[in-house]
Amino acid sequence: MRDELLKAAQEAVEISKAAGAQDAWAWASRSRSVEYSYRDGNLETVQESTSRGLSVQLYVDGRYSTQSTTDLRPDRLKSFIAEAVAMTRALEVDPFRKIPDPALFAGRAADTLDLVDATVSTINHDRRLEIVKALDAAAHGHQKVISATSGVNHSHDVSAGASSNGFSGSHESTSFWFGAEVTVQDAGDKRPEGYHWVGGRHVGGLPDVSAVGKEALDRTVKRMGSAKGPTQKATMIVENQAAGRILGMLMSTANARAIQQGRSFYQGKVGSELFSKKLSVTDNPLLPRGLASRLYDGEGIAAKAMPVIEAGVVKNLYVDTYYGRKTSMTPTTGGASNRVVTPGQGDLAALMKAINNGVLVTEWLGGNADGTTGDFSLGVAGFEVKNGQLGAPIGEMNITGNLVTLFKGLTALGGDVYPYGGILTPSLVFEGVQFSGA
Amino acid sequence: MFSPNRRQMLQGLGAGLSLLTMPSFLVACAKQGAPVASAQAPLGQNPFAQWFGVDEALIREVLTELGARGATAADLFLQHTRSNSISMEDGIVSSASSSIDQGAGLRVVIGDQTGFAFTEDLSRESLLAAARTAAGIATGSAVVPPQALNVSPEGKLYAIAVPWADVGITQKLPRLEYVEAKARSLDPNIEKVSIAWSDSEERVLIATLGGLIATDYRPMTRLWVNVTANKNGVRQSNASNVAGRHDFAWYTDERLDTVAKEAVDRTMRLFDARRPPAGELPVILAAGASGILLHEAVGHGLEADFNRKKVSIYADMIGKSVAPDFVTIVDSAEEPFERGALNVDDEGNVGRRTTLIQNGVLQSYIHDSISAKHYGVEPTGSGRRESFRFPPMPRMRCTFMEPGPHSKDEMIASVKKGIIAETFTNGQVQIGAGDFTFYIKNGWLVEDGKITAPIKDCNIIGNGPDALKRVTMAAADARLDTGGWTCGKNGQSVPVSQGLPTVLVSSLTVGGEDA
Repeated sequence: MRDELLKAAQEAVEISKAAGAQDAWAWASRSRSVEYSYRDGNLETVQESTSRGLSVQLYVDGRYSTQSTTDLRPDRLKSFIAEAVAMTRALEVDPFRKIPDPALFAGRAADTLDLVDATVSTINHDRRLEIVKALDAAAHGHQKVISATSGVNHSHDVSAGASSNGFSGSHESTSFWFGAEVTVQDAGDKRPEGYHWVGGRHVGGLPDVSAVGKEALDRTVKRMGSAKGPTQKATMIVENQAAGRILGMLMSTANARAIQQGRSFYQGKVGSELFSKKLSVTDNPLLPRGLASRLYDGEGIAAKAMPVIEAGVVKNLYVDTYYGRKTSMTPTTGGASNRVVTPGQGDLAALMKAINNGVLVTEWLGGNADGTTGDFSLGVAGFEVKNGQLGAPIGEMNITGNLVTLFKGLTALGGDVYPYGGILTPSLVFEGVQFSGA
Repeated sequence: MFSPNRRQMLQGLGAGLSLLTMPSFLVACAKQGAPVASAQAPLGQNPFAQWFGVDEALIREVLTELGARGATAADLFLQHTRSNSISMEDGIVSSASSSIDQGAGLRVVIGDQTGFAFTEDLSRESLLAAARTAAGIATGSAVVPPQALNVSPEGKLYAIAVPWADVGITQKLPRLEYVEAKARSLDPNIEKVSIAWSDSEERVLIATLGGLIATDYRPMTRLWVNVTANKNGVRQSNASNVAGRHDFAWYTDERLDTVAKEAVDRTMRLFDARRPPAGELPVILAAGASGILLHEAVGHGLEADFNRKKVSIYADMIGKSVAPDFVTIVDSAEEPFERGALNVDDEGNVGRRTTLIQNGVLQSYIHDSISAKHYGVEPTGSGRRESFRFPPMPRMRCTFMEPGPHSKDEMIASVKKGIIAETFTNGQVQIGAGDFTFYIKNGWLVEDGKITAPIKDCNIIGNGPDALKRVTMAAADARLDTGGWTCGKNGQSVPVSQGLPTVLVSSLTVGGEDA
């Protein structure tokens, strides 16, 4: 399959050149996915599909465009690319747009990423059913459960790319996920919901299925009786599962495009200590079995680990070829891979003990941040922390502040790295956070 | 990566190779569909059938395969989407993209169970293979389609004069340049202007095991203006956009001037804006975009899939009084040219106007065909899907509140300390707990009955049923938002619209500082 897709990409590059493009880049992909969902003792949906697609980037007379299609019949593809080349000619010349420098393709790491588990393709109907039934049984283990939906999903993705200036590569990965979401009857009309999903590149190494269903149930039951907490400034622990979102927000404008467009608080800050000394984040594309691992990025740049924040100091930014040329920065990589936060020590219980009093945030609800200024406001739900112990569930609250200030006030990190995501972070402790509530 | 996040959210800010020509397409679509009996009959000349390269014999064959193991319902959803986007930064086009997405979604329903498969390959072999996969959920005896397939008449909610396929990039570029220059001209502190343009046209053909064939041509376009201003070394950025199922001629100078001015005004106002106080405050929701309140606090909770599963906070509330009697809330597919407009939904049902709350009393859920059957009601034409890659679900279309008896001045005068919410970026809701949020980008502080200062970046959180009861006033100035909204549910995004008159909610939790 990898060879077949590579050939399709190479052919698309040839078609593009024949149609008049000086340079071209093509990606071909194929993805097979199976998903079951099971609700309250019955199979609810069964989805199974194989998807494919092709995208082409064209460099024509100093002009540039990108094209994609799922109609891969040879005659259609030829006319599609021919029309695209003609359309590209109608654009203005963009002096900053050049095909990525082939020197950046060099030094690709050996493929030891271990992203493919051959046993994924052997998961059959009976096994899927067994998984969702076990989840369903565990998720119903409380009298207040109204409904529980369990699911299992596995996929096998292959892609390949080729360019007119010497890039070629292919990428293959599998993934396997399962989990449940549970709704329970609370006082009055309230029916709080909770969920827990786990997954990875390999079938092995994941928690026991029933334990995952039970975790979904426990997380939901714990929300019962949730009330609005007080408006106050307090110490906040963000649970490892929830911490990825705020780190993603923090890093969303750490890139050349945002800086070039004047929409980033990282502008002029490379080398500056912007955050707490406790914060270090490395972009590591070469993590074995990583959910965002890769040997090259979307421009073919050979992947390597890159410190982004080191002891609070901004070390590197995400820079692609185009915005690198516009900002005179050296290309690093245009997009994030696995973002690995250097952990501290201790589990959630230890962190609660250490802060004594405060708020544990376990989930977000909406909210946003302004990437230009860092100002944010986010809906939160979680628990009071009282005398070092987990207290009553609280919700319908907001936290409001500035991301830079918030991460200056990062006082501790747990050792409990959450493994089921592309941002690998432990629980985080912040000082002096403004909560809005009752 | 598979995303296990099944939350509902609303996003505002972000971010064919036909052998037929459009005139013949339109002429053919104007024909009223008549029952047809064989492959030689009108379906063969139907422009949608020609477009997808299918005839009645093939459709019947696929439907027969879908029903081979039994089915309450089954459908074939053929879709072809052609989309273009252009972005302009620093006065030149930084990228232009086109894409074609074509495929078929095949579904078999048994009660409330669904078997689903899709394919991008529209060959007979691939369609039949996908149909067999979808039918795998069933274990009963065969159901066959009727001899005659009935082609539904075409709807006219967004009939456009010139199809997007006939508008070349050379026509679009001057419009981008115009709005870019306009935005730059409006304030000397403007440092960057970026423009994002998109247009698309979608063709669908839906064939059901019941023998219905429905077709639809769905145009869509959107223009974003993003602005960054630099005032004495401090930067602020903000945006505005206009969107709808319109054609190229809709982008008049006047419309472009308005969106440029909105983007600049919203940006410049941030320099003087502060954070509101933290805590529970009265919130006045400005007319138009504040329809986000309805989408999050009410609309999602009334989607019937959540209610038949009993996981919505509104599951036991039909027929009950949930809001003051001046509150009437509608979810309609019939608003012409709106993003949420739909001639037919993605199950082939005619898009209707659904009154959700009439004078404060909860009237109806939002249905797809599975839930309509479950509740024994007529479908509301709300069965929607992101694309052929997904099975349909009950979804909102254009959600709005009818005008009320109060005035905006009256509301402001009544507030001792509170805020006015004016522009928004996104919102979210928990269906069962009923907690919802929306993020205010621009607004105003109200003190002692007067507007005193601009505010910014503030998340609002409330509880749906509580917030409805706290709607204490609604004005006569109801209007729909001009910006484009995209609703996400269980990993599927669909375009929606929303609207509201100016409304006062007596108390919501305001994400602020320094209470």
